[in-house]
Amino acid sequence: MTVTLEKMRADIARLIDLEPEEVGNDDHLPDLGLDSLRLMQLVTAWEQAGLKADFAVFAESATLGEWWDAIQAQAPR
Amino acid sequence: MRAQDQAAAPADSSPTVTGNPPPDARPLTEAQEGLWYFQALDPANPILNTGQYLELTGAVDLAALREALAQTIAESQALHLRFGAGADGPVQWLSPDPVTVSETDLRDHPDAKARALAMMRQDTDRAIDLAREPVAAFALFLLPDRVFLYERIHHLAIDGYGMVLITNRIGEHYGHLTGQAPAPLPFPSLTRADDEDALYRASDRRQTDAAWWRAQMAGLPGVTSPGTLGGERAISAHEFRRESLWLPPALTASLAAFSQAHKLGWPDVLTALTGAYLARWAAGDDGDGEAVIGMPFMARMGRKIARLPCMAMNVLPHRIRPDEALPLPDWLAAEAQAMRESRKHGLYRSEQLRRDLGLIGGARRLYGPLINVQPFDRPPVFPGLDVQLHILGAGAVEDLTFTFRGDPDAGILFETDANPGLYSSDDTRAHALRLIAFLTAALQAQRLLDVPSASPAEIAADDARAKATRQDLPDVTLVDLILAQMQASPDAPALRDQTQRLTYAEFDAQTAALAQSLIARDAGPESIIAVAMERSAALSIALVAIMRAGAAYLPLDPDHPPERLAAILAMAQPLLTLTSPEIASSLPPDATLLLPDAWPKSTPATPLPRPAINGDSLAYVIYTSGSTGAPKGVMIEQRAIVNRLLWMRDHYGIGPADRILQKTPATFDVSVWEFFLPYISGAELVMAPPGAHRDPTAIAGLIAEHQITTLHFVPSMLSAFLAAPASDGLQIARTFCSGEELTADQRGRFHARIKGELHNLYGPTEAAVDVSYWPATSEDRSNPLPIGWPVWNTRLSVLDHHLRPVPPGMPGNLYLGGVQLARGYLGRPDLTAERFIPDPRASEIGQPDSRLYATGDVAKLRPDGAVVYLGRSDHQVKLRGLRIELGEIEAAIMASGLARECVVLAREDRAGEKRLVAYLVPEAGYAPGLLAPRLAARLPAYMVPGSEVTLAALPVTANGKLDRKALPAPEFHASGRDAATGAERLLARLYAEILHLDAPAPVEADFFALGGDSLSAVRLCLRITEETGRDPGLGTIFENPILDMLAAKLDAAGPTDDGLGPLIRLAQGAPDLAPLVLIHPAGGLGWGYRGLARAVSRDSNRSVFAIQHPGLNPEQPLPESLGSLATRYADLINRAQPLGIIHLAGWSVGGIIAQELAAELSQMGREVGLLALLDSYPTDVWRDEPEPDPVAALRALLAIAGYDPEAHHDLDTRAKVVAFLRAGDSAMGALPDLVLDGVVRLVTDTNRLVRSHQHRHYDGALTHIRAGRDHQDRDLTAALWQPYAGAVEALEVPFVHAEMIAPAAVALIAPELTKRMA
Repeated sequence: MTVTLEKMRADIARLIDLEPEEVGNDDHLPDLGLDSLRLMQLVTAWEQAGLKADFAVFAESATLGEWWDAIQAQAPR
Repeated sequence: MRAQDQAAAPADSSPTVTGNPPPDARPLTEAQEGLWYFQALDPANPILNTGQYLELTGAVDLAALREALAQTIAESQALHLRFGAGADGPVQWLSPDPVTVSETDLRDHPDAKARALAMMRQDTDRAIDLAREPVAAFALFLLPDRVFLYERIHHLAIDGYGMVLITNRIGEHYGHLTGQAPAPLPFPSLTRADDEDALYRASDRRQTDAAWWRAQMAGLPGVTSPGTLGGERAISAHEFRRESLWLPPALTASLAAFSQAHKLGWPDVLTALTGAYLARWAAGDDGDGEAVIGMPFMARMGRKIARLPCMAMNVLPHRIRPDEALPLPDWLAAEAQAMRESRKHGLYRSEQLRRDLGLIGGARRLYGPLINVQPFDRPPVFPGLDVQLHILGAGAVEDLTFTFRGDPDAGILFETDANPGLYSSDDTRAHALRLIAFLTAALQAQRLLDVPSASPAEIAADDARAKATRQDLPDVTLVDLILAQMQASPDAPALRDQTQRLTYAEFDAQTAALAQSLIARDAGPESIIAVAMERSAALSIALVAIMRAGAAYLPLDPDHPPERLAAILAMAQPLLTLTSPEIASSLPPDATLLLPDAWPKSTPATPLPRPAINGDSLAYVIYTSGSTGAPKGVMIEQRAIVNRLLWMRDHYGIGPADRILQKTPATFDVSVWEFFLPYISGAELVMAPPGAHRDPTAIAGLIAEHQITTLHFVPSMLSAFLAAPASDGLQIARTFCSGEELTADQRGRFHARIKGELHNLYGPTEAAVDVSYWPATSEDRSNPLPIGWPVWNTRLSVLDHHLRPVPPGMPGNLYLGGVQLARGYLGRPDLTAERFIPDPRASEIGQPDSRLYATGDVAKLRPDGAVVYLGRSDHQVKLRGLRIELGEIEAAIMASGLARECVVLAREDRAGEKRLVAYLVPEAGYAPGLLAPRLAARLPAYMVPGSEVTLAALPVTANGKLDRKALPAPEFHASGRDAATGAERLLARLYAEILHLDAPAPVEADFFALGGDSLSAVRLCLRITEETGRDPGLGTIFENPILDMLAAKLDAAGPTDDGLGPLIRLAQGAPDLAPLVLIHPAGGLGWGYRGLARAVSRDSNRSVFAIQHPGLNPEQPLPESLGSLATRYADLINRAQPLGIIHLAGWSVGGIIAQELAAELSQMGREVGLLALLDSYPTDVWRDEPEPDPVAALRALLAIAGYDPEAHHDLDTRAKVVAFLRAGDSAMGALPDLVLDGVVRLVTDTNRLVRSHQHRHYDGALTHIRAGRDHQDRDLTAALWQPYAGAVEALEVPFVHAEMIAPAAVALIAPELTKRMA
């Protein structure tokens, strides 16, 4: 898997016009301006980059930290 | 909510057949509450059924599809919900009952698709019982080559995204069952929705969000939309209109490219630009507007309900006030940022925000049209099948909803859904097409400023209309035309007044002689000669002579104050002034005068040469009042007035047979066609005597005496004329109106009285009299009445304040173009430049020099291009943010029959307190207090004038126009009137109780303005039901939040109980005063006495009851005799009022029964006070008459309902009468079928009772009130009762029998009754 936490952070930041360091692991992403359309774009891009994760993970959680934890938890499988 | 996590099927065994909530029912989430109240307001409304169907083609595995559907239903708990009212508000619970799945095999059906769609429609159009029926239904339709999968789910259970989840899930199960995909993860439990709701409700975030929204919405303007510009209420109907279009690929491509180039989300761009289109509709006359749109918001991102089918969506209000001059990408970036901000606070419910802001009830609302961008709305995947998705309905459409489904790559389906109460299907389609044009143009524009609201097609249609008026004009002057006529018909009559009559030859000689002497005094082209003369033949001679001298005339009104006359003469510097010795004294001493004595007496020896003038020469100068105070002289050239007059001659076929009345003062430019049209048509000009133009009777006399064929009225004068007895039945070939708004009411009254055509003309002095026309025929139903179509060589342009063309329906400023425009203002190039502007589209229409005149009038185009005048841009009437058409109120006042003439003003006599005042010339039946209730029955409360002023006549200006400034200020009554009627007192108490007020509420109290919300409205509804035994309906409260209006509604439906019981209370009075009991007339209903009851109660503070016939219920047997009926009524009274005096009264048959009842009661030992009979006569009178036929009885029913039976001779069967009543707005027509049947039965049966009745003697006194205007052919008097009463008192009122309980008669009768009960 080529998607890393920092790549995810950079991708999110680019889409919502922030610097990567402005997207913290515990920041509420919808509050930072991430909407469902942009989320869909992100997930599609990450899936194409080889990420295997249920979309529910991204939809039901609101922080990058939670996403990463869920991805890590699913990774060994 | 009882549900196991991820349950495959709901396990709930509580009984639900009764629809009662089980003990463990859970409250609704905040998201659901708003919808629940919406549905509770109108339980029969099916519009919350959201529906769609999938069109599946390919090798459908039916068994797998059925199983996939069953599994989806089993795991989707939302589909098993039931809803009901609990003790503390609405609740929901899960039902074990199955969700309906039907299957219809249409494979052999000839028109399978249509049949399937009809069946779906039938299902979607049925409102479900939320407590007893499944919220969802699914159906499979097997067609020859495809399968339709239909889904219908109530919006309370699901939102749009939930629908997507469920639909996708069916596809996922199908994929799994056919071995093509893995099994999907089960849906989470519905308890998550409750949990998320509880979490948010308890959070600090909710408080922060509330504060954020309140700050955002501070200073919110009155929300408006294209369909509610007139203050209409946006309440969802039971259905909606839809226009579905695909956005053109070029548009989606430019949307994608633009969004990418500027790093914007395309949904935000789409939403903002659509909002900008809507903001155009909110624009004022002089500034950009603000639209408040609603943006549906999924409210799922980052929440545990992201994958849960449930109802979670919110609608976010978003204010759009574009800065149209900003570079478009900058404005859009700011908008996108603002939308992003609002989404951060998007969990705060808009229903709650609406309550926070007090935007409940009446026309108040938080947002207007919805803009819904659904990028995820793509067909679900069913492996191996081709799938298309068809949306049938997605919830309520209160106003307008623009939905964009899909994305720029896949294509965007664009749906315009509209409330049919606010938008026609043409409107709906026009908005859809125009928005596409607007989006297309905006995405190519630098700024919004450069994008017109009208589409290119609409602008082209505008141009085409202007082009169609092109008419080649001969290169002539008015003088050429007049001379030609003089030569053509020298012996024909040309001009007459009270003292003389001239042929064209004589007229030629006299005008030539005067012209010659004017030329001798240096008159010639471009010189100005003033005329200050009373109306007479000499005035007409003077005007034509001035033109024949080549000069221009300047009319002066002799009635104007000398200062004004002097000011005009000083500005215009005329060569000389033609006047009379009487008037000369009002003119300044330095003016050069030419008096009639100095006019030449003989024809000149040498023929008068044709003047050296052409189309560009000055023809006349007319001064109009200027907004700055100094009058402005409008200069009209020959070509302009020639165009106007030739158009009129040609268009209306004016010819030698016509006689035209000259009655308009010469200073008013309407007089120009009166003065000159006859002389270019060979017609005769008849000069009305001075002053006659203000005397309707004198005008009628002139018309009859001189057989006038053509004349003009200012509409207010037309009203006065139509009110004059002398105008009735006159024949006038053509009547022209202009100068003011002609109303539909005036049109109707005209055609009811006058035989002839009525034409509405419009134009300012600055454009040669009139520039538009509209035939106001008797068939014309237009309301408002348009000013119509452009005359020859004329353009009418409705532009916004940036001078951009507006589309039909959108108010704008009216600009005029074409040959009739004035040269400008005399000596005021500054004012000329201000009002006569270069046409911004001059080059586009190929007329580089073309100018436009800014009229200052607000107008709109109808879809057919006719122009409708809306008002002055500087005098627009707005009350509480509502645009008001005063003409509508005036028409309602006229329709009340209480006024001969009227005008309504919005006055602001105290700062900040603008109120409507009705000025009226009263009709015979008028009395204070009668008008407002009648208006309230026809108009929204905010349109009922707060004050009435009666005048002997409406003041008019010298020009015959209504003189608004001369209308006196009214005396406003102090606000806060105490409750007076029983219903008002009840509501005053309940308002105070529920809203925690310190004292009973005054009748002006607005339930919602005092803090009421949906929940307290429900409580109020319950309390009213408790107190009166009658459910007023929640909707009644929402629509009538003002106390007295609600009280009136309660009264209208019968003040207590169900209004159909045998004894109803019509007015609540003091308990210690003996009540008045009114006995029903022939139809058995007592409601007709409502007005009488209220008047008596108000005067005497007594309770008033009405007795109604038990046979109103058709299941009840009919009484044997009138005597047995009276016995029943006596029992009824004894039970309700066992002690004390009883007063009795009855109208018609009701009086006969009252007499019998009085006898019965006194026999029982009860004391009868007043016994009043309203135009009732003993039965002996009728017995010898032939038996009336059943049709006559039915016709009596019309009278009871308040119609004149004589006006409806065509209603000769029971079915026709019933259908007529149903279609009308009488209380009778609103009765339930069963009761109406009962009334019809009673009307027929009463005749039998009356004929067989033998009167008893009643020892007490009887008061008889006779209908004095009736019984012309019969000797019906009070004396006929002498044998049956101890004493008979005879009174009379000037009405006919049918009017005895109508308001006008009540005003006289009620005080008499009150007096006799004291």
